[in-house]
Amino acid sequence: MRRVAVIGVGVTKFGKHERTCAELFAEAAADAILDAGVSPRAIQAIYFGNVVGGEGERQLHMGPQAASVLGIPSVPTTRFETACATSHAALRHAMMEVAGGLSDVVLVGGAERVLNLPTDAATEYFAFASDAAFEQPAGITFPGVFALIARAHMAKHGTTEEQMAHVAVKNHRHGALNPKAQFQKEITIEQVLNSAKIADPLKLYDCCPFTDGAAAVVVASEEVARKSRRPVWILASAAASDSMFLHVKKDLSRVLATERAAEAAYRQAGRGPADVDVVELHDCFTIAEIVATEGLGFFEPGTGGVAAEKGWTSLGGKLPVNPSGGLKAKGHPIGATGAAQAAEIVTQLRHEAGSRQVDGAKVGLVHTLGGNTATVLVSLLGSE
Amino acid sequence: MSKVITLQAFFEEARAGRLTGIRCGRCGELAIPPKEFCPACQERAWEPLPLDGRGTIASFTVIRVPPRGRAAEAPYAVAVVRLDEGVSLLGRIVDIPLDALKVGLPVRFRPLVRDNQTVVGFGPTV
Ligand SMILES: [Zn+2]
Repeated sequence: MRRVAVIGVGVTKFGKHERTCAELFAEAAADAILDAGVSPRAIQAIYFGNVVGGEGERQLHMGPQAASVLGIPSVPTTRFETACATSHAALRHAMMEVAGGLSDVVLVGGAERVLNLPTDAATEYFAFASDAAFEQPAGITFPGVFALIARAHMAKHGTTEEQMAHVAVKNHRHGALNPKAQFQKEITIEQVLNSAKIADPLKLYDCCPFTDGAAAVVVASEEVARKSRRPVWILASAAASDSMFLHVKKDLSRVLATERAAEAAYRQAGRGPADVDVVELHDCFTIAEIVATEGLGFFEPGTGGVAAEKGWTSLGGKLPVNPSGGLKAKGHPIGATGAAQAAEIVTQLRHEAGSRQVDGAKVGLVHTLGGNTATVLVSLLGSE
Repeated sequence: MSKVITLQAFFEEARAGRLTGIRCGRCGELAIPPKEFCPACQERAWEPLPLDGRGTIASFTVIRVPPRGRAAEAPYAVAVVRLDEGVSLLGRIVDIPLDALKVGLPVRFRPLVRDNQTVVGFGPTV
């Protein structure tokens, strides 16, 4: 297999947009192509991620539409959907196409618009990523799924609502340093604890927002990457699954797909958790960040809440997690999230993250979780 | 020889108050249908196993911001229940006050029918 690098990144402002998914993706993609220093003509394939388009814009077949708006309509496109892990799955497949020698330059990313939908419609649509026979009819929601995980983690490990609140406060503090973030303002523990109840024990500020936005990265072979400005190498990219049925999970306090994908990624890269300098992980809810920091091997099972409380995951801490603000503050445009996380890690490893830069970062980890924890992707990126 | 229990059959039985699990004829693994291979031993030898419907709450949540069409039902509780036989099942909590819910609380299966769709429910044990 050939070595593969990310050579360019582009991310739109996250928040509310009036433009279509295709327009948003085209903006991020054009920025990524210019950042890569290649001609649009060099793109040999587009791996495009979107989840809600069919509902929100009455638009399927969004890949070629996005390529047409971008101005390279003859490039083959494929749309990916693995719920919230969508564009990270696209990134892994693009890497495989380049590693396998079929293409030298592939454009990857995703776009999402949900803020044009009423909250109850978006809540319903997101719940489609949980099982339609057992779970949706019971009235489950995505905050509900993670509330079940939170309650199990609290019962087993003594994790507290205040520890979860620390995750939100930290990610908002980071988001305040990110000009692309949906929320650029700090919040307090009290604000989190006193915010409206969504799905007990999760409150409004435990939840990431609905977000419109797009992100794109350009991946390339070593030969092309060597000629680019500042390549960041894909050291590993692994995917893992777990049962689609929540009721099958024997221990709701763990996300087995995260543990499996992390193990595979560390093995591929010949590295371990101690080698990681900076992390972008899937904090769709505060408890998700706590469980992920344990599953990725950074902290012992049951101690992720303590790590958040002690500030170990903050910028300036032992292991900065979500310097971008994470899904919580940067925002979560579902189909764009994986690519946006990868773009942040590339920016960090290029030492171009400005006031949210993790000093001396050389190895970064990207973790993206899909749906009811049934899909997880983990990639390791390195500046060398 | 494997008897496949379809989703339709599972929920028709559930509507009549009967929960149906499946047990692997090779390794004894318990599961909720539908399933072809045993995830534990990869054999294809399921046999139906009637489940008593009693269990305890493994985790629960109170949904306060519901999906479209359920505003009138909220707030309501959803729980993952560990059945006495060893398998778990997710369902809607019925007839238990929300502030009485806790991990470990004994509950019992009961079917709920909504818009002609059968939903797994769990209520008090007596
Ligand atoms: Zn078996």
